[in-house]
Order: sequence, then structure tokens, then C-alpha cells
Amino acid sequence: MAPRPKKPPARKPTRKPARKPVRATARPLARRTTAPPRHRSTAPSPASSSVIPPHMNPPVASEVVARDGVGYLQSNEAMFTFYKRTKGEFSKYFLGLRDELKIYGARCPGCGVVRVPPFELFCPECDFTELEPVPMPDTGVMMNTPPVTYFAHSLFQSWVPFGRGRVLLEGADTAVPMHVYTTKGVLTPFVFRRGTPVKVVFRDRRIGKPTDVFAVPQSELTAAQLAKSPLLESELDFTRPAEPAVPPATPDAKAKLARALKMLQKLAKDARRSPRARHNLAGWKRRIAIKTPGGALAMVIDDGTLDVSPGPLKGPTDLVLLFQDPQTLLDWLTFREALTNAIIAGKLWISVNREFTTIFKLDRLPRSVLRDGT
Amino acid sequence: MRKVGIVGAAITPCKGRWVERTYYGLSQMAVKSCLEDAAVSVRDVDAAVFGIYNDIFELSAIPEHPLQGIIGMANKPGIRVTNGGATGAYAMLAAYSFVASGLYDTVLVLGVEKATDCFDFESMTETPEVIKTIGWSGDTFFERELGWTASDSYAEVVLAYMDDHPGDLKPEISARIAEVLCAQAKNNPFAQRKDENVTAEMALNSRYVVYPFKLLEMCVYTEGAGAVLFASEEKAKAIAANSGKDPIWITGVGASNEHSVSGKDLRHKYMGRIFSDHFAAQAAYKMAGIKDPLKEIQVVELHDAFIKQLQITMGEMGFVPIGRTDALIEEEIMKTPDGRGRVLINPSGGLTFGGHFVGGSNVFSTWSARREMLDHGFARGLVHGTGSTIAQYGVAMVLERR
Repeated sequence: MAPRPKKPPARKPTRKPARKPVRATARPLARRTTAPPRHRSTAPSPASSSVIPPHMNPPVASEVVARDGVGYLQSNEAMFTFYKRTKGEFSKYFLGLRDELKIYGARCPGCGVVRVPPFELFCPECDFTELEPVPMPDTGVMMNTPPVTYFAHSLFQSWVPFGRGRVLLEGADTAVPMHVYTTKGVLTPFVFRRGTPVKVVFRDRRIGKPTDVFAVPQSELTAAQLAKSPLLESELDFTRPAEPAVPPATPDAKAKLARALKMLQKLAKDARRSPRARHNLAGWKRRIAIKTPGGALAMVIDDGTLDVSPGPLKGPTDLVLLFQDPQTLLDWLTFREALTNAIIAGKLWISVNREFTTIFKLDRLPRSVLRDGT
Repeated sequence: MRKVGIVGAAITPCKGRWVERTYYGLSQMAVKSCLEDAAVSVRDVDAAVFGIYNDIFELSAIPEHPLQGIIGMANKPGIRVTNGGATGAYAMLAAYSFVASGLYDTVLVLGVEKATDCFDFESMTETPEVIKTIGWSGDTFFERELGWTASDSYAEVVLAYMDDHPGDLKPEISARIAEVLCAQAKNNPFAQRKDENVTAEMALNSRYVVYPFKLLEMCVYTEGAGAVLFASEEKAKAIAANSGKDPIWITGVGASNEHSVSGKDLRHKYMGRIFSDHFAAQAAYKMAGIKDPLKEIQVVELHDAFIKQLQITMGEMGFVPIGRTDALIEEEIMKTPDGRGRVLINPSGGLTFGGHFVGGSNVFSTWSARREMLDHGFARGLVHGTGSTIAQYGVAMVLERR
């Protein structure tokens, strides 16, 4: 499916916080799924969520943290303000998205510049001539190659990887910032380039926000979809990537996996003595099945510790990592390629896209152990 | 305008987390050290400028107000400057203006920032919440709710540059620059990452955070403070005679803020360039009489939020051609620890390895440039600051020892 609003996952407490006696938690995951990338909207329907996601709200608590034998007090706090914020002169634009399924720009009758989104009332280039609204087409091109975010801020952790690009609609002089998605699986940096023709797609549920629309490559659409305006997300066919087959076993792959297992077990042992590594894994619980043509491994992250054992993971699985070649594991452990980059390169398949957070934690481990000299 | 000199500077140790200090304490530490460096009393200081970037980091809408008294400046003028990543540079521009105009004889700039007090209780780490805090800096109507971050906004600029110049910014060059900066951080006793040994291979193979930025090729989050004392010519000479340290004169300043919205031409931001840096540097060079920066400037303290942005900025500031910034390494423009190269860039590790306490990062850069000029006799230095979305803000300041 497309990037749809998703209810934040429930949380489960860890038994014994490793580092901070605040509500140390890990997000429980659904069982391994072949479901495609899903994305949580920051603005789901008001009836189903609150402005501040409840799972991000810590309890009132304090603790003492030691540094060089001295205790320092720190407390859970937040800086928050609630708003009924007007969209003012931008209301036509956002109501256009929400209710009319149209995109409005602003045209200067003096110089003819068309600005989308219509971010000002008057044209500063023409002695502040008053601008006039103009309906825009829903097709255009990427103004530049858009960045793809793999490590997002805390409100967008479950969206990654996502692209935020600027679409130059036909006839416009400025570009609209919006999310860009592919219907063909995981977004890589190579799907969109400067000049890629795109079509703007409207979400089924719209609330008058920039996330009401996103762009997809025109090349991924049928002629009928391309011709339809407005095009809704439910009218798109988002590929459901199934778990790929594990390549046939080879003696070389088995030998590599055996080496990787030894290195992983050493990493797990060293990580227990590394403050940085324990910090990386604090408050996190994941059961990970590793599949390779050289065989399977079971990896368990349990609130500050890592355990790795040979053979398939028994019991519930939060995440599957399927390596096309165990060499990728060795490359990760020897700083030759991060797991994140291996995913981008197609060498590593993960079953749950939003588990990039776990991937980042794993990517940090070898360097943390190295830095602590353990 | 009057001649203005720098007569004292100091920074605190840069740390990923200062559990032991609040921003009050960090401020006092930096000011105390700065005044000791200049060998003056705070009673000799006429006014203060506070560089603090983000209210949310300090958990206060007027974060400078408690600092006025505790740094000994009660009952004197004090203003806060906040200009995104370029806050420190703009704070120094304000202090320079105060002295140059004749309004005050001595002005203290204090740049300070907390960051990793912010904490994400979902991932149980600081970084996602730090990024979120910075995320409130993006356009709040059209971009913030798309997950805007400082990284992805600068990545937009770098990618647009790469669209224009696909042969530049080669991965191995950026990685090599990271390696050089890491080595140079070892010259800085206050550097956050002075104990790290990042090789070009490690940087090259580090994970993407936001494509095309990799973890070991971007700045870190830092808590710390820095202070610089500006003085009029007469005062500067008197202070220098007492401290034994030559004044470092500010002979050129420039600043430029681009449009925050991108478009097809220069009526809006052109994404493939950082014209804010270009215009700021050109203004500073004109004021200082610099015709060829590569020949006339020996040390550059450049706001390296991202290594690839460092390269583009070196192009915008005229040290290498736009489109061939890899020349920094390939044509041995950038000095490297093996003695090659022509211009020293970020000799204290820059913001990537030294530290990036946002409100004071450019103050740290000035401290470093001055240190190099005093210790090694360099005639000219250049301090640069960048900030806001899509590298919108640029500031340049030419320093001279004469």
C-alpha cells in the first residue's frame, strides 16, 4: 500500500532498564510480515490520535546520572504548546488539497511568475503587486534529485526511508515540497532524478496538510492513471514485495557464514563490555532471523545485550534479514559496508521497512566496540 | 568605521553530552577563560552579544536572560542573536558592528548551546529528538510536516549541485577530507572526537544518514560554549600590550541570506549553488581588499556541517572552481597532515570532528583561526558560517595579523 496513516505501535516495558530508570521500552513488532513499506502519518484523523503521540510522552520522573564519581540529577521534561493555528492566506491552498483535490498556485499579473505553493500575497519583484490564484496541473518534474532520509527525527522514525523532493508543476516557477514514493518497493536514491516526470497523487484521507499529496514517477503509472485527475492513492497498485528466495547454498557461502558467526559472537561478547554498545542497545528488544545461502543465524537484542547463535531463530520473529551473500555480513563487521548501505544496494532484504531503527543500532555496534577498545 | 580587533577567545571542551553542566555553567566557563586569555576584567567589557540558536534546546523562550548577570554583565547592554546554524557568525557580526560604529569599545560574544538534553523515549536515544528539535526550524506550513531536517535540506542543495556537476564530489574525495579533519582534531584539546581515528575507508563505508550524506562525513551534535572579545583599535592595543597576544584584526565582513523557497531562477533560491556563501565572501573580500583568496588567505575556518557542503562552500568562496571542488584534494589545494597543500582548512577538526554547539560553533571557528594565526604567524584567516534551510544564510569574516 501507499504511505498511509498508521497507528503507532503499542509498547511493552523491558524488565530491567539497563541505563535509564525512566520508562525503558521497546516497540513490540507485529510478527514477520511480507507487507510492503507502510508509513505513519504525523497527522492521522483527529478521532484516532492526538497531536502529541501518546507513546512519545514520558512519565514524570527523575534520576541521578554519575560522571567521575559525582551524581547529577536529570528529570523528564517537555516543552509543549498547543495551537489552533490558522492557515490564513494559505487556506485556499490547503482547502484545495483537502476538499477540491486541486493544487492552487499564485500568479503575478505583473511579471507572470507562478509560485506554487502560493507562499505570499504580493509579488516582491513587482512593487508588491497583489497575486491571483491559479489552478495548477497535477503533473510536473522533479526540480532536482531529492534526498532520501534513512535516519529521521523522532516523529518520522517509522517513515524511513522516505524522500522529500520538490516538484516543479507544469507552468510553475517555484517547486512544491512533497514526499516522493515508488510503487515498486523500497525507495532508493536512484528512483528519482532531476527532471523525472511525476504525477501528484492525493491521499484518500486528507486533512489539509502537505502530506495530503505525494508524487510518484509517471513511468510507474498506466495511461489511464496518468490521465486521471485527481488520482487517489487507493487507485495505485503498490507492489507487495514478497520475501525473496535464499540463493542456493555453496561451500564458499557456508565458510563465510562460519566466519561471520565467529565474528558476530565475538562482537556480542565485546559489546557486553562496551558502554557505547550497551547504550546503543539499551531499552531495545528484537528477535532477528538471519538467512543466507550459507545457512541461518539467530540474533537476539535484549535491552543492552546481543546474542547470536547458529541455526534458525526459534519462536517469534520481529525481523528477517536476508543476505544474498554472507560476505555482506563480513563487510559490515569489518567496516567495509554498512547494513544500511547494503539495503540500498539490494544486497540485504529486510522484512519490515520501519525496522531501519534496528538496522542503525546494528550499524553502530562494531564502531562502538572499536571506540571503547573492548 | 573604526578598526576592530579580537583580543581574547576561549571555548569549553566540546562534548556529546554535558551532564555535569547546564548552559549557565558552560557560559561561565567560556567567559571566564576568554577574559583570562585577554587578561582583562569583565568590568572592562562594555556590552555582550549572546549567540544561542534554538530556544527548545535550552528549554526557554528567552534563554539569554539568565546569562546577563552570571557572566558579570548586569546593568550593561546585551542582545541575543539567533540565525540558525550561522548564529555565532551573525553574533560576531553584531559585535563587530557595535565596536566599528563607535557605540562600544569592548564587546563580548558568548555562543552557547545545549542539545542532547533532548531525549527520544521511543528509541531511548538522544539523536532523533535532537533532529526533531532542529526540525522545528524548517518552514512550518509547507515542509516541517514532511519530515524536514537540517540534513535533508542541505542534502537537497548538494544533490542539486551534483545534478549540475555529476563529476564532482566524488565519494573518495569527501572521505579523504573527513580523514584529514579527523587527524587535525588531534591538535585540538577541546575536540569532541579527538580520540577517534577515522580513515578515509571508514568514512567511505559508513552508513547513509540522508543520501548522499554518510555518518562519518557530517557534523556531530555538541554541547559547549565559546567566547570572543572584540575591541576598538585603541583598546585592543592596550589589552594586547597587557596580555602579550597580538590583536587579530577584522578587516572584512560580509553576510547574505537567500530566499527560502526554491525556483527556476535567482528570483528564488537556485538549489545548485550556495550563493549566500558566495555573496558573503565576495563582500568580505572587497572590504579587505582581497583579490585572490587562495593566494592571500592561509587558514580557513569553514562551517562544515557536511563535508560535501564544505567542498561546495570552498568553491563559492573562490578557492577552487565551482564544478571542480575535488581539486581540494586532487590538486592539493587543501593542506593535509603529510605537508602537502596550500591552504589550511579547519585545523582544529572543524564542526565534524571538533564539535558543533550551534550557537557558538562559529565562535569556536574564530577561536581556532586566531589560535593558528598567533601560533604559526599566518597573515590572513577566513571564518565562515552557514545556516537555515537549504543553506540560506552565509557569513564570512576576514581576519588579519599585522
